[in-house]
Amino acid sequence: MPRLPLGQWVDNTVDWLQAQFSWLFDAVTSLVTGLYDGIDAVLSAPQPLLFAGILAVVAWWLRGLSAGVLAFAGFAVVDSIELWDDAMSTLSLVLVATLVTLVIAVPLGIWAARSRTVSAVLRPVLDFMQTMPAMVYLIPGIIFFGVGVVPGIIATIVFALPPGVRMTELGIRQVDGELVEAAEAFGTTPRNTLLRVQLPLALPTIMAGVNQVIMLGLSMVVIAGMVGGGGLGGAVYRAIGNVDIGLGFEAGISIVILAMYLDRMTGALGSQVSPLGRRAAAKAHAARVARTGAKIWGHRPQPVTALVGVVILALVAGGMGFLGGGSATTASGKNTGHGKKISLGYIPWDEGIASTFLWKELLERRGYEVDARQLEAGALYTGLAGGQIDFQTDSWLPVTHAQYWEKYRNKLEDLGSWYGPTSLELTVPSYMKDVNSLADLKGKAGQFKGRIVGIEPSAGMMGILKDKVLEDYGLEGEYEVVDGSTPGMLAELKRAYDKKEPIVVTLWSPHWAYSGYDLKKLQDPKGSWGKGDGVHTLARKGFAADNPEVGAWLKGFKLSEKELTGLEAVIQETGKGKEQQAVRTWLDRNPGLAERLAPQ
Amino acid sequence: MSRLQADHLYKVFGRRPDEAVRELAESGADRDALRADGTTAAVIDASFTVEPGQIFVVMGLSGSGKSTLLRMLNGLLTPTAGRVLFDGRDLTALSDRELREVRSRKISMVFQHFALFPHRSVLENAAYGLEVQGVPRAEREKRAAEALELCGLAGWEKSWPDELSGGMQQRVGLARALATDADLLLMDESFSALDPLIRRDMQDQLLVLQQKLKKTIVFITHDLNEAMRLGDRVAVMRDGRIVQLGTAEDILVRPADDYVASFIQDVDRTRVLTAAAVMTDGTVEPGDCPPGCGCRSVLPETPLAELCTVAARSLHPVAVENADGEVLGVVAQDRLLGVMGGLDADLRPTTPTGAAASTAVPGTHAAPAPTGDPAAQEAAEAPAAPRVPRPAASVEASAGDGEEVTARA
Repeated sequence: MPRLPLGQWVDNTVDWLQAQFSWLFDAVTSLVTGLYDGIDAVLSAPQPLLFAGILAVVAWWLRGLSAGVLAFAGFAVVDSIELWDDAMSTLSLVLVATLVTLVIAVPLGIWAARSRTVSAVLRPVLDFMQTMPAMVYLIPGIIFFGVGVVPGIIATIVFALPPGVRMTELGIRQVDGELVEAAEAFGTTPRNTLLRVQLPLALPTIMAGVNQVIMLGLSMVVIAGMVGGGGLGGAVYRAIGNVDIGLGFEAGISIVILAMYLDRMTGALGSQVSPLGRRAAAKAHAARVARTGAKIWGHRPQPVTALVGVVILALVAGGMGFLGGGSATTASGKNTGHGKKISLGYIPWDEGIASTFLWKELLERRGYEVDARQLEAGALYTGLAGGQIDFQTDSWLPVTHAQYWEKYRNKLEDLGSWYGPTSLELTVPSYMKDVNSLADLKGKAGQFKGRIVGIEPSAGMMGILKDKVLEDYGLEGEYEVVDGSTPGMLAELKRAYDKKEPIVVTLWSPHWAYSGYDLKKLQDPKGSWGKGDGVHTLARKGFAADNPEVGAWLKGFKLSEKELTGLEAVIQETGKGKEQQAVRTWLDRNPGLAERLAPQ
Repeated sequence: MSRLQADHLYKVFGRRPDEAVRELAESGADRDALRADGTTAAVIDASFTVEPGQIFVVMGLSGSGKSTLLRMLNGLLTPTAGRVLFDGRDLTALSDRELREVRSRKISMVFQHFALFPHRSVLENAAYGLEVQGVPRAEREKRAAEALELCGLAGWEKSWPDELSGGMQQRVGLARALATDADLLLMDESFSALDPLIRRDMQDQLLVLQQKLKKTIVFITHDLNEAMRLGDRVAVMRDGRIVQLGTAEDILVRPADDYVASFIQDVDRTRVLTAAAVMTDGTVEPGDCPPGCGCRSVLPETPLAELCTVAARSLHPVAVENADGEVLGVVAQDRLLGVMGGLDADLRPTTPTGAAASTAVPGTHAAPAPTGDPAAQEAAEAPAAPRVPRPAASVEASAGDGEEVTARA
C-alpha cells in the first residue's frame, strides 16, 4: 500500500492559501480583533461588582429574583478570586464567536431548510467540522491568523457552527407544513412566510441552537488558551502547565459560573423572544401563582423596570470607569521604553519561565509595557514568525528545536545563546543500580512497565527520542514514550522516587531536579542525542532594528549556571503564579545584575 | 360564465411528468403502470365547471388525488397539464406574483387541521389574509371581528387558538377565509377532523352562511354523507380520475360504477332521494280517497324521510304536486318501501330518460367515452345520462362487478 501523502497535500494547500490570501486573513484578523477589543473594552470598563449587578438585574428580569441573587453571588466569587478580567476576556471571546457563528449559521440553516440540495451538501461538511478534533483547527488557524484570540475565535466558530446551522434548519423544517401552506394559500410571499410564520415558530429551536453554540464556545476557551487566547482558558492552560491545582480549580469554577449564567440566560431568553414561549411561560407562572401563591423569589420585574435598572447601573459604571481610568503605571529607573509594548512568549520550561519573567521585570523597569504569554511550542514559533510575539528566550539550538528553526528561519532572528552547553538525556534514579547506559534499557521494559515518561509532545527532544534514540538502541516497540508535560513528568518522577519505584524520564541539563534528587543520566555511547545545545533568544525578524536598545541587551544576555539554577530555585520556593515576585527577590539578592543585563 | 373551470387537469409527480401525461392521455395507461417507473399520477384528466354560488364537492378516499386537485385550483400546485380558469382567467399562465395577488384577494382556503397560527391571537388569525393584502390595522381588525361574529365567535377575539375547541378553531379558520371577501372558498376536508356532532353543526352553519353569502365553494371530503348534504354537485374521484360527476341524487340513483355503488350503500338515502325521484306516473282518483282521509300532497323536492310520515297517514299513494298544484305523479307506499330497501334499479321506470338510467349499470357501457372529450364530459354532467369516462383497461373488471349490481337489483 503506497503512502497517501494526504497530510503533505493539506500542508501545501495551507501554505498556498497563506501565500495567496494573506490579505483576506489579515482583514479577518483585524475585523475579529476589532470586535473582540470593542466588546472586551465595554465589558472590562465597569467596576466588577457594578457589572455583576447589571448581569444580576438581567437574570432577575429573565428568571426571577433568586436567579438574580445567585448570578450576583457567582460573579462576586469570580471577582474575589481575582479572575474577573480573565472572565471578561473569556466572555468577550465567547460573545464574538457566538455573534459571528450566528451571522453565518442562521442564514445557512434557512437556506438548508429551503433546499434539499443545500441540506445534503451541508450535512457531511457539518459532520466534518464537528467531529474533527477542535485542536486540529488551531494549527492552520495560527498560521493564517497568528497567535492570540483570533485563531481561538475562528476555531470556536468552526466548532460551534454545526449546531447553529442544524437547529435552525430543524426548527424551520419542523414548522407544521399546513401552516406554511396556509400562509401561501393567503398569498404570502416566500420572504414573509419565512419572517412571519416559519421563523417565529422555529424560534424556540433556534434559541436552543444559540444556547448550544454558546456552550460549545465556552468548552473551546481552554483550547483557545493554548494559542494565546488568554482569559480563563489561558489560566486553565497555565494551571495545567504548572500542575497548579488551586489555579486550575479557580479558573475552572469561573468557567462553570460563566457557563451556567449564559446557559440559563439564553434558555430564558429563548422563551422571552418567541411569542409562543412567552405565552407558555405566562401560563406556567399563572399556574404556579394559583397553586402556591405569589412568591417573592419568583418575582420578575417588568421589562421596563429591568431596562431602567440596567441603564442606571451602566451609567454609574461608565462614569466610574471614566473617572477611575486616570491612573498609570510608573516605571522605576530610566524610562527607555515610554510605554512601548513588547510581547513575550514562553513554553513552561523552567529556564524559559525564569528567563522570560526576568526580562519581563527588567523591561518593565525600563518603561516598557510587557505582556508574557504561555504557549504551546508550535504556537510560540508560529506566533514569532507571524510577528505577534516579539521574542522568546528558550530556544534550544541547533538540535532540540531544529525543526521549528528550519521551518521559520527566514522569519526569525537569532539574538544568540545566553546559556550553554546543555544536554538532553534519559534519566533514572540512582537506585536503579544496573541501568547506566541507554543500551542497558533493552530487555528491561517489564521493570519500567514499558514506559518512558516524556514531556510535551511538541518538545524537540521528544522528536529526537522517538525518531532517533529509540531506533539507535533498538528500544522501539519495547518502550512507549508517554506524552505529557514537564510538570507531569516531574510529578511522576517525584512519586516514583519517593516510593523507590523504577522509572525512566526524559530530562535535560541544566535542571533543578538534579540538585533536588539523586539522579543518574544514562550514557549515550552512540551519541544519538547529538551535541549539546545553546539556549538561544529568538526574535521576530526586524525586532532588533525596531528596538535597538532591547536588541543590544538581548544580544549581550548571558547567565552562568549558578545564576540560572539560583533563579530557578527562588521561583520554585516562591510558588506558582508569583514568578515575577520571585524575580524581584532574586534581583534584590544579586545587586548590579539588572544594570549588567540591561544597562542604561 | 362559470366561476371556476378545470380543463383537463393532470398532476404527475416524479420523473418525466410530461411523458407520463402523454401516456395517460393517449394510451390510457393507469396509475399502477406508471407507479412501476417511480412516477405518481395524482390527478388524471380532471375537468369540471363550478357556477357562482354553487357548492361543488369532490369526494374520494385518501390517495384519490382530491387534495392535489384542490391545490391546483389556487395554484399552490402547478398542473402538469391542463388549465384552471377562474372568472375566465387562466391561473396556470400567471406569474408567481400575480398568482399570490389572486390568492390573497379572490380565493381563500380552509384546512383540514385548521392551520391556525399558534403565535397569533384569534383576531390576528382571522385578520391574516387582510394583513397580507396590506389592509391597515384598524380596518382589518374591524373586518376580522365581523367575520368572527358571522361564524359565531364574537367575544373570543383575544383568545389564543389552543384555548379553543376543535369546532371553534375551525370557525376561526372559516372566519379567516371569509374575512378576505374572496369569491371562491376552497375547503380541504375542513370538517373531517371534528367529531360527528360538531361536524354536523358546522355543516349546518356552512349551509346557513352560504344562503347569506352566496360564495362559490369547492369542498373536499371523504365522507359521502357530507358530500350529499352539502353539495349542489358532487364529483367522485378514484385513483386520480373523476369517475362520476352529478347531483347527489344522480350519484345515489345512478352510480356510475360499482366503486361508487359501494360507497352509496352507507348513505342515508331517505335524506337524499326526493319524491320526484321515486314517483310513478298516475294520479290520485277521487274515489281512492275516502272521506276523512287525512292525506296531503308533497312537493317534488321533498326528501323521502319526510315523505314517509305523509305516506303513513295516507290510505292511498301520495300525490306529488308542484307549487302550482299540478299533479306530477304519485308515490305508492309499497314503492316507497321498495326504494328505501335498495331496489334502485327500477327508479323512474316510466320517465323517458329513466329507461336509459335503468340500464346505466357500470360495465354495460361497452364503449368507454373518450376521456378528453368535452362533449362526453357535458353528457356526463347531464343528470339523465350519468355516464362517466372510464379507461378502456378497467372496463372488463367493471363488467364483472356490474353483474353483481344487476343481480342485486
